[in-house]
Amino acid sequence: MIQEVRVITKKNLPDSRGEEVLYDINHALAINSVERVRTARVFRFEGISAGEAALLAEKLLAEDVFQEYQVNGPVITDAAMVLEVAYKPGVMNPEAASLMKSAADLGITGLVAADSSWEYGFYGNMITDADIERITSSLLVNATVEYVVQESPKTLVIHGTPGRTEVIPVRQMSDDKLIELSLDKLFLNLEEMQVIKAYFSRIGRDPTDIEIETIAQTWSEHCGHKTFKAKLIVDGQEKTPLLKRLQQATEASKHPLVLSAFVDNSGAMAFYDGQAICGKVETHNSPSAIEPYGGAMTGSGGVFRDIVGTGRGAKVLASTDIFCFARPDTPEEDIPAGCLHPHYLLRRVVAGVRDYGNRIGIPTNNGSVHFHRDFRAKPSVIVGAYGILPAELCQKGKPQTGDLVVTMGGRTGRDGIHGATFSSGEMTDRTIEVNSSAVQIGHPIEEKRTFDAILAARDEGLIRAITDCGAGGFASAVGEMGEEVGARIALDRAPLKYPGLAPWEILESESQERMVLAVAPENIDRLMEICRGYNVEATVLGEFTGDRCFSATYEGQVVMNLEMDFLHHGLPQRLMQASWRPTVYGEPPAVTTTDWVELYCRVMGHLNTCSKESIVRQYDHGVQGTSALPPFSGIGEDGPNDAAIMAPILGKPYGLVISHGLNPVLNMIDPYQGSLWAAAEAVSNAVASGASPRDLVLIDNFIWPFPDEELLGALDLAVDACVDFVRGTGMPFISGKDSLSSTYRGKDGTVIKIPPILCISAFGRIPDVSQTVSADFKKAGSQIVLIGYRNTSEMAGSIYYELLGYLGNNLPKLSPPALMEVFEAVYGAIKSGKLLACHDISEGGLAAGLAEMCFGGAIGALVEIPDNELAENFLFNETAGCFLAELPADAQLNEVFGAIPCQVIGKTTAGNIISAVQAGESLFKVELDKLKQAWQQPMREVFRQ
Amino acid sequence: MKKPRVCILRTDGANCEEETFYAFEKAGAESQMVHINQLRSQEKQLTEYQILVLPGGFSYGDAVYSGKVLAVELTSFLKEQLSEFVAAGKLMIGICNGFQVLVRTGLLPNRNLGKIEATLIANDSGRFECRWVNLLVEQSHCVFTRGLEGSLINTQVAHGEGKFYSDPQVIDEIEKSGRVVFRYVGLEGKPTSLYPANPNGSLNAIAGICDSTGRIMGMMPHPERYVEKTQHPNWRRIPEDTIPHGLAIFRNAVDYARQM
Repeated sequence: MIQEVRVITKKNLPDSRGEEVLYDINHALAINSVERVRTARVFRFEGISAGEAALLAEKLLAEDVFQEYQVNGPVITDAAMVLEVAYKPGVMNPEAASLMKSAADLGITGLVAADSSWEYGFYGNMITDADIERITSSLLVNATVEYVVQESPKTLVIHGTPGRTEVIPVRQMSDDKLIELSLDKLFLNLEEMQVIKAYFSRIGRDPTDIEIETIAQTWSEHCGHKTFKAKLIVDGQEKTPLLKRLQQATEASKHPLVLSAFVDNSGAMAFYDGQAICGKVETHNSPSAIEPYGGAMTGSGGVFRDIVGTGRGAKVLASTDIFCFARPDTPEEDIPAGCLHPHYLLRRVVAGVRDYGNRIGIPTNNGSVHFHRDFRAKPSVIVGAYGILPAELCQKGKPQTGDLVVTMGGRTGRDGIHGATFSSGEMTDRTIEVNSSAVQIGHPIEEKRTFDAILAARDEGLIRAITDCGAGGFASAVGEMGEEVGARIALDRAPLKYPGLAPWEILESESQERMVLAVAPENIDRLMEICRGYNVEATVLGEFTGDRCFSATYEGQVVMNLEMDFLHHGLPQRLMQASWRPTVYGEPPAVTTTDWVELYCRVMGHLNTCSKESIVRQYDHGVQGTSALPPFSGIGEDGPNDAAIMAPILGKPYGLVISHGLNPVLNMIDPYQGSLWAAAEAVSNAVASGASPRDLVLIDNFIWPFPDEELLGALDLAVDACVDFVRGTGMPFISGKDSLSSTYRGKDGTVIKIPPILCISAFGRIPDVSQTVSADFKKAGSQIVLIGYRNTSEMAGSIYYELLGYLGNNLPKLSPPALMEVFEAVYGAIKSGKLLACHDISEGGLAAGLAEMCFGGAIGALVEIPDNELAENFLFNETAGCFLAELPADAQLNEVFGAIPCQVIGKTTAGNIISAVQAGESLFKVELDKLKQAWQQPMREVFRQ
Repeated sequence: MKKPRVCILRTDGANCEEETFYAFEKAGAESQMVHINQLRSQEKQLTEYQILVLPGGFSYGDAVYSGKVLAVELTSFLKEQLSEFVAAGKLMIGICNGFQVLVRTGLLPNRNLGKIEATLIANDSGRFECRWVNLLVEQSHCVFTRGLEGSLINTQVAHGEGKFYSDPQVIDEIEKSGRVVFRYVGLEGKPTSLYPANPNGSLNAIAGICDSTGRIMGMMPHPERYVEKTQHPNWRRIPEDTIPHGLAIFRNAVDYARQM
């Protein structure tokens, strides 16, 4: 028997959730028949009486100051239509455990299970069934994880009998059968399947399903990075594999601050006072494409665990989020079959990042959003995290024979099975149906208490090695950790969310919020004690054996016994051909601007330039009390800054700086120069805020369509650009990730390749955060200085060209050594305290940067455009590595910047006008408010604020 | 002089405990992290402390409503300890989620454990928001704001359920008895109902209240996020000698507790 309690906010009070839903119905779906929406909570309890349910309602579920409730009865009685949306059975509802806990606290003992959901009442006389159907399918229900409750469930308990371990007769399989086995499940190619067949033929037995799954998972593109490790033939010439090139460049840089590069869950560099800082950036595109809320949450949760799983345990300091979407106003008919609308994706991804980061208490303080039509087939969700740990603990730990394998945190369920292999596959219109189990809802509170317990255990020296359970679950975590020594685990010891998991599912499950530790036997009791103190479940699964095998048992039977050597080194190196053939994009004819104000407003209102404040305000960027340069500052706290700076050790001046850069359109035109631009932009953002270029390290994220010969050629050039950047500037890459699956193939033969993205993140240290600047202009009468090398005729890929309807070919050409000179000069100027404000130039060019500095300072500017410059190019050129700075009126330019190209282009002015003159004539005068309105409007519309 | 001892209450989902710990240490106290399990098992006793802090965060994921599950836990298991603590004239502060817990236990506004008389509900905007706001420190007998009355302070809010709400008669009683400690104000320094200066739509622009003794205080904004100069988003514009606005609140608490 299930008791239901429904709770609703009193009628005279605002129902802000209902208002939000109504706004989306009216605006995103353009349905006007709905006039009002009321929402109610539904709580279900199994195993208790109606009287006990009433007690819960009274004490826990409702507050009569502002709410009303009903036990086993409706609370919305007068709506035209009422529907309830709940998580599907088996999808973990993070609220359920808290309901159970609180009921127990109230002395209710018989409760077996609890669940919660939302009910929506729609008001309006003209609402049609078709309206409700669209509201349901496009707004309220993500069929991957949710459903409309038609009748109350009979039970909340999930029953199941474990599946058996099957033997897969690969030794007898023909090539066709091998391919069939791989399809939709293993994502391995025929050659790889043949290697597996040959291996088991040699050892004289067939594999179990668990062994096949473990191999497929370890050999997936996601975990094995087959393309980045492939033997590469570029235009007939063999070149060093991509990953090796990056690693060699890092080694050659001999950067004195690098402590750990490319070997751990994140890369680490030296900080101050014996501490190290570490950084990791991940992509989470495939899950976010089909269930953006859960996908974004688990993306954040996963990258946080990468930080905690660094060395012997780090504390997470910051979260960053970088998204690529199609325009939120993309017409419905432009969305390929099987893909979700970008308006929905954008809002739900932001909600996922918000709810995970805010609840776990990690500030989200750096990010960006980019829009391009071709992201309609698959968005890109790039999540980063940064942390701190004692330098002496920053090297990857090594389990020793006899150490115990311990899992900590969340329980194992049928979540995310095939996440690793799935994210390596291309997106097709079948992806949503076939792989829907690859997404789950995150539980940030579970992760927070697990982290707390881990840091306490670390501080007592109880952790020999640690890693997170990410893609591939225990198979990946234990398999990698035990690579050198071997490990044996008992799968039936793993705590499960519900019964019924087959042994292979327990091993491969990607349930979130789990960490795996290697713990010496003498430390296990203390670890367990710490875990109990933090309400964290910890279980010994097995031990590190010393036999160099990865084995597993289930109810006493050996179900897996693989040689680590085959698992980790059996994957054949791929041979891949690459050849880049540039496309020639037309340059626009010369256009005479007639309405400068309109043009300026259009540039500011372009989706790639516009203010993202509506998103940033939803993220807690102040928690932990570490912020020293927030995403927005200035008089109205609405002027954007270039980087995030934090002082992570409270009371000390030491700064951690975080920034990033990417420009998918430039990568499309020229993968080499586009990639240099991304790196230059990332570093410029940090330098503009006061970081020394010698104290910065880099992280690469390649998000590429499936690499055919041409796209692999582009990837090869992008990697070359990274290597040249390291050589030219001395800044090394210390962590990176590739995701090479962003091609969409539709049933009708449609192929959409999303623009290739290289996202470069930069992070580093600053000795004293008080020697940094923000971007907002500080006072009237200052000199405005333009610094850096640029050829303003290089306009390809700019917002200005896009507004003319062109891409162009002549994009900004960058030279890393020249960039380094500029970085050094700008850093020196900021450190000397002579700059009042500094901002780097990126999308929208000098004009956009200038406007943003004016917004923050709430003052105007007068710009004099040199006679020999084309005004449009001067204002809207987007060459990275160029800066705008505010210099006191009496300061001497060359004393501040030395021999670096720099010029005074104007001055700040009291009032709220930006004006430009050229050759003594006024070009335009535009009110700041008008520009700001154009700049803030796009995201305010999407986010209702 | 002996440092007052501060109990920073840790629970599943609390997440502002470290900066709150630091704020009290900086103000001259000796902070200790105490997990609620330690109080329930009596491994630690509230009697050891002069100040109890319920820090910000999302206790138990804010299941049902923000702070609700922790409030139920406190009233179910620690009722006596809390009553004794209050009766001994000690200090209690709830920040953000802690304020939500204090109203849901009934400790605010009337020290009526188990009876909810005022509440904090979803922001009018319908979402979590993080921004700096201006607060007017009201004339009250609140221990935490002594000497600050009438001044304007800057703090950050970061919450989704911070609209202070109650029946008109309860609000009236709180107002008349001088228990409003902070109000959201606009640029001209006047209390406002307008977004975003009033970030959540709180009635009477109430951002923080205290009980009739002035020793129990709850507030939605985060004073612990402004105890260092560089924590302010515009510290580069602020005179060098400005004392971070949040610090004064913690110092007041510590000074008062020293007299105990």
